[in-house]
Amino acid sequence: MGFLNYTFDWSVLWRHPYGNMFIKGVVTTIHLSLLAWMIAVIVGIAIGIFRVLPIRSFRFAGSFYVQIFRNTPFLVQLFFWYFAAPLLLPEPAQEWLYDNVPNYAYWAGVAALGTYTASRVAEHFRSGLLAIPHDQYRAAYSTGLTTMQTYRYVIAPYAFRIIIPPFTTEFLTCFKNSSLAMTIGVMEVTHTAYYVDSFTSHGLETTTAASLVYLCIALCVALFMSFVEKRIYIPGMIARGQ
Amino acid sequence: MIEIKNVSLWYDKNHQVLNDISETIQRGQTVVICGPSGSGKSSLLRCINGLEYFQKGDIIVNGVSVQDPDTNIHQLRSNIGMVFQHFELYPHMTAMENITLAPLRVRKKSKNEAEKKAMEILERVGIPEQALKYPAELSGGQKQRVAIARALAMEPKIMLFDEPTSALDPEMIKEVLDVMIDLAGEGMTMVVVTHEMGFAREVAHEIIFMDKGRMIEKGSGHDFFNHPKNERTRQFLSRILI
Repeated sequence: MGFLNYTFDWSVLWRHPYGNMFIKGVVTTIHLSLLAWMIAVIVGIAIGIFRVLPIRSFRFAGSFYVQIFRNTPFLVQLFFWYFAAPLLLPEPAQEWLYDNVPNYAYWAGVAALGTYTASRVAEHFRSGLLAIPHDQYRAAYSTGLTTMQTYRYVIAPYAFRIIIPPFTTEFLTCFKNSSLAMTIGVMEVTHTAYYVDSFTSHGLETTTAASLVYLCIALCVALFMSFVEKRIYIPGMIARGQ
Repeated sequence: MIEIKNVSLWYDKNHQVLNDISETIQRGQTVVICGPSGSGKSSLLRCINGLEYFQKGDIIVNGVSVQDPDTNIHQLRSNIGMVFQHFELYPHMTAMENITLAPLRVRKKSKNEAEKKAMEILERVGIPEQALKYPAELSGGQKQRVAIARALAMEPKIMLFDEPTSALDPEMIKEVLDVMIDLAGEGMTMVVVTHEMGFAREVAHEIIFMDKGRMIEKGSGHDFFNHPKNERTRQFLSRILI
């Protein structure tokens, strides 16, 4: 059967039971990415701060983390969290895991995506902090502001504007990388597309739908962030989106 | 008013930045510090308001020891204004917000009171019409005058200037120096790191020449320029006074 004989049947996207599978897939993609992003931001900012602290052991720990997670393939990390990480646990913990966490693959995906993205977030956060000149801190301190006040009123709003554009990119990357979780069996939207294809042989429609889901969500996020950038736009700081 | 007693500062074991500096500055005096780059001028200035930690000696400002653990350093700094080479205005705030931040947060003034005072000071430095502009919308000379206004808003007893005109276009230097000359005339105690020898000649009660962390020579404006005692001072002056 050649391509020319292919008859499109878009109804596989909503027909029972596939429609529900797609909705579940999209929802899984969204909360998997969001949970991973939350881990990435919290861990990433902590590691980014570690890397600029004047304490050598913290700086070492921070750069160790970044080098490990940034310089190994994400797919390998995903396999590590899914296949190897449980084996590192003591036996009772392993048993507990297999008995009580049926969707372990999902959590392995969240952990892998979160910790991997954190290493990239850490680098952006660190370069944002380093972009602020020393004298900017001194200027704030010199007027009598405390350390907390200096960070709250001067440094944080300044750094925030520097890191918004790279953070937007990282979030979109994180969101798209979530598709790799299918390799460990997470039923997110890409996996759903393949799964429905295996029953219906309408992979063209299902993968098109999955791609459009990513495209739409990514465009919405990008639009929203460019709106945020415009709202907080200040002359001479970040480049304004057109 | 400022007593610097045998201050020595090391950045690390092999890098001594200040070497046994002593100096007394009386109320209402203007002292100019000059010298080649890396001579420790800016570091000395930062020691006066506790922005730099020195290992030996003591600095007493208004009867309070800067490095005494019992000293409230924030309160001490709030009475010492500081102006930087690269202005260091907070880029995400308007000129007005830059000036009122510390009066609002440190002095706990009301917004009305702080803004009224800020307008008075902006008028004094000659740019009341720039109050609502962001730093990036101002010229270099205007930025530095806003920076001076920000320091003056705390009604300091002492003003420290760290090369306030070095980053300015030649045509803008005068507008900043004029403000500083006015301040000196009103009896402000000022310590100024600068190479503007015209300014030094006009207003300095004392000129200090530093090289490699040592105070090589000090004297009144007349003596300093006409009868420099030290060979290194003569060499320096011959290079900058063309």
